[in-house]
Amino acid sequence: MDTTLPQRFIELSLHSLKHVQNQPLQLNQQTFQQNPIEPLNALQLKLQPIPLKPKTEETTIAAVDTSSIKIGETNKGIIIAVRGANVWKNKRNYGYLRLGPFIFHITEENLKEVYNTLQKAYFTEHNHQTSPNFMQIPMRIASLLERWLQTTLSKTINNGLILFDGSLTAGTADAPTQHMKEILGNARGRNNVVLAFSKMTTLRFNGYIVTDVLLAHKPPYLLEISNLKPKPPLILLGDVYVARLTNGNYAFRLDIDKEISIEKRVEAVEKLLGNDLFFQSYPETLRLAHILCTFTANEVIAMQHFISQKYGLKIVNRPDMHRLLFGPFGKGENRNETV
Amino acid sequence: MKLYRKEGNIVQILSFPNETVEKGDYLLVEDAEAGKALIVQVIDVQFANIPGVLEELLRSLPDGGELLQGEDFDPLEIAPHITYIQDSRLLICKIRATVENENLSPSSSWLPSRSQSTIRKLTISTLLKLAKVDGNLPIALGGTKESSLLTIDASALDGRLNIITGKKETGKSHLSKLLILNLMQYKATVVVFDLNGEYGGLGMTSDGKRNAHYNKIHVLIPSQNFKVALKQLHLHVLLNILIHALHLPGTSAREFRRIWQFLKEKDNLTLHELGEAIRNWHCNQNVRDALFSRYYALVNSGFFTDNIAEATLLEECLFKAKEEGGTIIINLRNTSPIDRQTVVEYVLGKLVELLTSWKLKAVFLLAEEAHLYLRETYWDDIVTRMRHFGIFTTFITNQPDTIRENIYRQADNIFLFNFTNEHDLEVVSRAARVDAETVKSIARDLPPHHCLALGKVVKDFPMVVKVKALDVKTMGETRLFFKDMN
Repeated sequence: MDTTLPQRFIELSLHSLKHVQNQPLQLNQQTFQQNPIEPLNALQLKLQPIPLKPKTEETTIAAVDTSSIKIGETNKGIIIAVRGANVWKNKRNYGYLRLGPFIFHITEENLKEVYNTLQKAYFTEHNHQTSPNFMQIPMRIASLLERWLQTTLSKTINNGLILFDGSLTAGTADAPTQHMKEILGNARGRNNVVLAFSKMTTLRFNGYIVTDVLLAHKPPYLLEISNLKPKPPLILLGDVYVARLTNGNYAFRLDIDKEISIEKRVEAVEKLLGNDLFFQSYPETLRLAHILCTFTANEVIAMQHFISQKYGLKIVNRPDMHRLLFGPFGKGENRNETV
Repeated sequence: MKLYRKEGNIVQILSFPNETVEKGDYLLVEDAEAGKALIVQVIDVQFANIPGVLEELLRSLPDGGELLQGEDFDPLEIAPHITYIQDSRLLICKIRATVENENLSPSSSWLPSRSQSTIRKLTISTLLKLAKVDGNLPIALGGTKESSLLTIDASALDGRLNIITGKKETGKSHLSKLLILNLMQYKATVVVFDLNGEYGGLGMTSDGKRNAHYNKIHVLIPSQNFKVALKQLHLHVLLNILIHALHLPGTSAREFRRIWQFLKEKDNLTLHELGEAIRNWHCNQNVRDALFSRYYALVNSGFFTDNIAEATLLEECLFKAKEEGGTIIINLRNTSPIDRQTVVEYVLGKLVELLTSWKLKAVFLLAEEAHLYLRETYWDDIVTRMRHFGIFTTFITNQPDTIRENIYRQADNIFLFNFTNEHDLEVVSRAARVDAETVKSIARDLPPHHCLALGKVVKDFPMVVKVKALDVKTMGETRLFFKDMN
């Protein structure tokens, strides 16, 4: 396994933090929300559901998720933290590998350097054109870690199901097409199926969000979405479904690797149903991956404590402008909110 | 440690895992700029309300309650910081005093700086020096948590009303014995109402040999070596016995007074003559029956005698104790409840008599489970009248609700052992010399043989002490059925 990327994470984390010695750190932060890039087109929703029967044939299930958070601001930039987790379920037991948190001090001066170094460590010759801005950097660094974790799973799991958080849309700075193809190719080569669950979607059918379309059919089932053509350079590496896997009003957009035959796709979801726990239509393995990498307020305080102890940062509580101006109506900034 | 907030006389202090602070500890909150410091005592230790802790705990147990197995690659070693933050604690502290130029004042009207104040632990020995808890008559109670000795001054017990309370087998009697031996060393006269016969061994070491106090310990067993002749009694003492212990009605008491005067004039105050006088007295038959029933109660108690030679021990012991200090232990173990009251009425009457006539200077009275033999009216007497005569009482009980509320309010010193029962703590917390929170919070967690000393002996700085061991013979042990089987 190529461990260049996590090594670079550590090196750059430590290197960037050396430049924050004895600076004041402002705590108030705005959290970064991911705005998923959805392909926009007049899509078709096949209202004939694909019924599913759970298959209990023993199958390894693995999931990946990453998370990023802004810890505070210095005079020169921001301090962010990134963490990722792989979770797997094998023979009724869950296990995990959690990487991080990696803490970076990002300034205008080192933003390009940090990102490009990390990107080079992993993407080698692909996609060097898009340097993120200040607001995007936490998500971008988290995406780099996420791709690396996905690659790890695609190269180590055999005959299993690999669950991604999000869609299989490629062609973005976060998800270079070539690279996503390689991940999916590696997974297929080991007889794995990649299933990507999106918690939120903007895809609409007849004006309704596709996951809100309710059929009389009893779950579990899939609804196939067709005629989905994203605007270039975005491409879909998976076919898109609405997955309603348990009773109740919970449904998710599910992207399944295009290169997999329809029968195998259905079989993969059925194996997932037979091997993982489901609550609110969402697989437990992916939920655990999310839970394990999410930063809690306690951890944010701990990281602030770490940098103030180790690098002598003075923590300053910047006045909350929303609160100052609007009193109890000023609810713009939340402290230590988890992402 | 950081000062977090203050409300009334309670301050909250944030403490981190590397700072070991426990309930009962004293802290000094110093504000260098103000030139003052607050002395606060920790009365409770809580987890600090850290945001996200619930998520953190839930995250560690997502697999059906079992720990999730996995590996963490934490290159910057943030995990110890998370634990550090998670384990930070909030110390709930009571303000006890302000120190300014090494002088203590009970004021809490100022507020130290939250950002500039430094907080450090105040050792008990330093506090004792600051509070000037010393004197010429030291009594070493035992060790504090810091292994320093807590020494009180015997004069802090002089003229005071004290309470020793705690649940069973926590060490109340042990502390009482320690106080008795120390008071005796300073030539004090001590009288003990020993309900379970456990003080008799004070004059002997644990292996049964005589110790230095042997000659100063006088054990009086009613009806055996402790008897009273009618001639020695004052009428009012006997009337108190008849009315309060034997419940003689008022009319009969009047007739008894006449009979007594008649016999006294004839110098014929003997049990036999008293019986004859009642038999031949011209009075209503019901009155005669009432007097006879009490007369036989007195005779059957075995406590009364016509032999003066048999009836001088109490006075002898008291006078001996007056000279060189000593303890008179009234062993009430095998005495019936009515006889017990009779004996107590007599002893208290005798003490008042000797004190009023200045034949005795003062007496330290230790009363175990006093509700079992002390009549209702004595409670008020003890805290008001008797104190002025020179009877300084220490009540010892494991049922705090048997002592009246006004006793708690007027108690000068309380030695509080462990209580877990909410009701018991509620009762003790009515004491005027301490706040309810301190009592409830600290007493609940006291280990056996540890006591919370409150009041004048510690200059109103509540202190926890492990009562030191004594090499005296243990008596009055609970009889056990399975003792030899294990």
